[in-house]
Amino acid sequence: MKTKNIFFRLLVIFLLFLSSCSKSPDIDNETMLDGDKIFDPSLYNPAKYLVSVAIDDPTTIQQNTPVIITVHGYSASTFEWDEFRTYTNANSDILISQVLLGGHGRTYEEFKNSTWEDWQEPIMTEYNALRNLGYTNISFAGSSTACPLVMDLIKKGEIGDNDMKHIFLIDPIVIPSEKLLTLIGLVGPMMGYLETDNTPGEEGYWYHFRPQETLKQLMDLIDKVRKDLQKGYNLPAGTHMKVYKSINDSSADPVSAVLIYKGLKNSDGSNIEVEMIDSEIHVVTRLEGRDNITQQDRDTQIHVFDDMLKILKQ
Amino acid sequence: MKKKFFLAFLFITSVICMQAQTSGKEDAWLGELKGGIRIQKTQKLYWENGFALDFSSPKIVDSRIHIGLSYVTSRLGSAMGTNAIKQDNYLLSMGYYFRPQKSLQPFTQLNMGYFHADYESAIFDVLPNDAFLFSIDAGLSYEFQIPFTLNLSMGYNLNTGNGSDGPGTLYPVFYQMSIYYTLFKKN
Repeated sequence: MKTKNIFFRLLVIFLLFLSSCSKSPDIDNETMLDGDKIFDPSLYNPAKYLVSVAIDDPTTIQQNTPVIITVHGYSASTFEWDEFRTYTNANSDILISQVLLGGHGRTYEEFKNSTWEDWQEPIMTEYNALRNLGYTNISFAGSSTACPLVMDLIKKGEIGDNDMKHIFLIDPIVIPSEKLLTLIGLVGPMMGYLETDNTPGEEGYWYHFRPQETLKQLMDLIDKVRKDLQKGYNLPAGTHMKVYKSINDSSADPVSAVLIYKGLKNSDGSNIEVEMIDSEIHVVTRLEGRDNITQQDRDTQIHVFDDMLKILKQ
Repeated sequence: MKKKFFLAFLFITSVICMQAQTSGKEDAWLGELKGGIRIQKTQKLYWENGFALDFSSPKIVDSRIHIGLSYVTSRLGSAMGTNAIKQDNYLLSMGYYFRPQKSLQPFTQLNMGYFHADYESAIFDVLPNDAFLFSIDAGLSYEFQIPFTLNLSMGYNLNTGNGSDGPGTLYPVFYQMSIYYTLFKKN
């Protein structure tokens, strides 16, 4: 009788577990990026976003013009770098390639089935395409998750000496602010997904629902990069790096900057540049779509843009 | 709030110790004192190792309550010869041990203390690097025939970093193994 009871209880727990695993979110196709109607515009108009597509036969002047590959973070889209493009177009003649991470900007299911290696792939695709077209002055700017993705490329030796001039990391994530993310492998299957609190201005550009599978991928990526930094490695020769890190950040813990500073050195062994920013925003360079933006936030955004452009023109 | 918790913990510990000292024969409160090493792994972060002391007395709830002191640090773990952040944990613990007369004793503990992380550069002086530690853990203790005891436990830090407040490398879940040598035992 006792054994039967135990089996019955285990069966109930197992069925509860199964039912919690099969949760699927209630997606509004009309308003959410997760749906089957809204896609990132770079997918149907790549020439507007990728320099390699826009200019298939660059002149010598174009080949020597600084071109910067900008990459957004986890669950975001190319929108994250629109303000930088608008500002740069008005203030300099730098070319910008806005890369959409693999698995992103499409349906919830495609996002759910993607791995962090998939997210990384389009960065290398655009970088290699630009190099094959003869561009000589390529730089990179990444926000949030784009930063560990490019740090992993450096670690793997995918970016050679003198092949990338500057790397800008905006609010890089190596340590998550939400520490319960460390338990995603355990509690993730029970949750199914996490619902975000996007503002109306963000809906359509950020996933509303974050599948637990992708959160696990994110954790796997940052855990790998943290361990790489712990061992330490250097930038390729001829590559300069600057990190901009908000000191109050609910997504990427500011201590991420400490780990990058300690673990990633210039090719000659000297320290990389780090600027800690008095802000409560995650990704200080993107203000569009947010609520309650202050003048200090606007000043910070312009300061970072100007600083990046000044460095790019050097 | 944190201060209140800490003061309450100190008060309870002191009352138990005073009660033990003032009752019975002069040395009746002396029970068992163990000292040893502790190995700690934080879920998805560092190995932090160090030292631990454990005291129990037949006069303190019949040896069911243990008072512990410990120090674990990444300096003796992940940060040895690497770029991991050097961080220190100082803990005062009070544990309740079930089956005190048996070799295998399940236990649960309440821990309080102080955490400090060394970021080593003035650039990061703007970030919090100290915190009040408040954690719970539970596990099994096995006392061998020889004067050694093995404790295995899993714990949860109730006060962790969150991106704005608290050190970023203070994580919630940790696993511990302590190996004690019995320094003193009253028969």
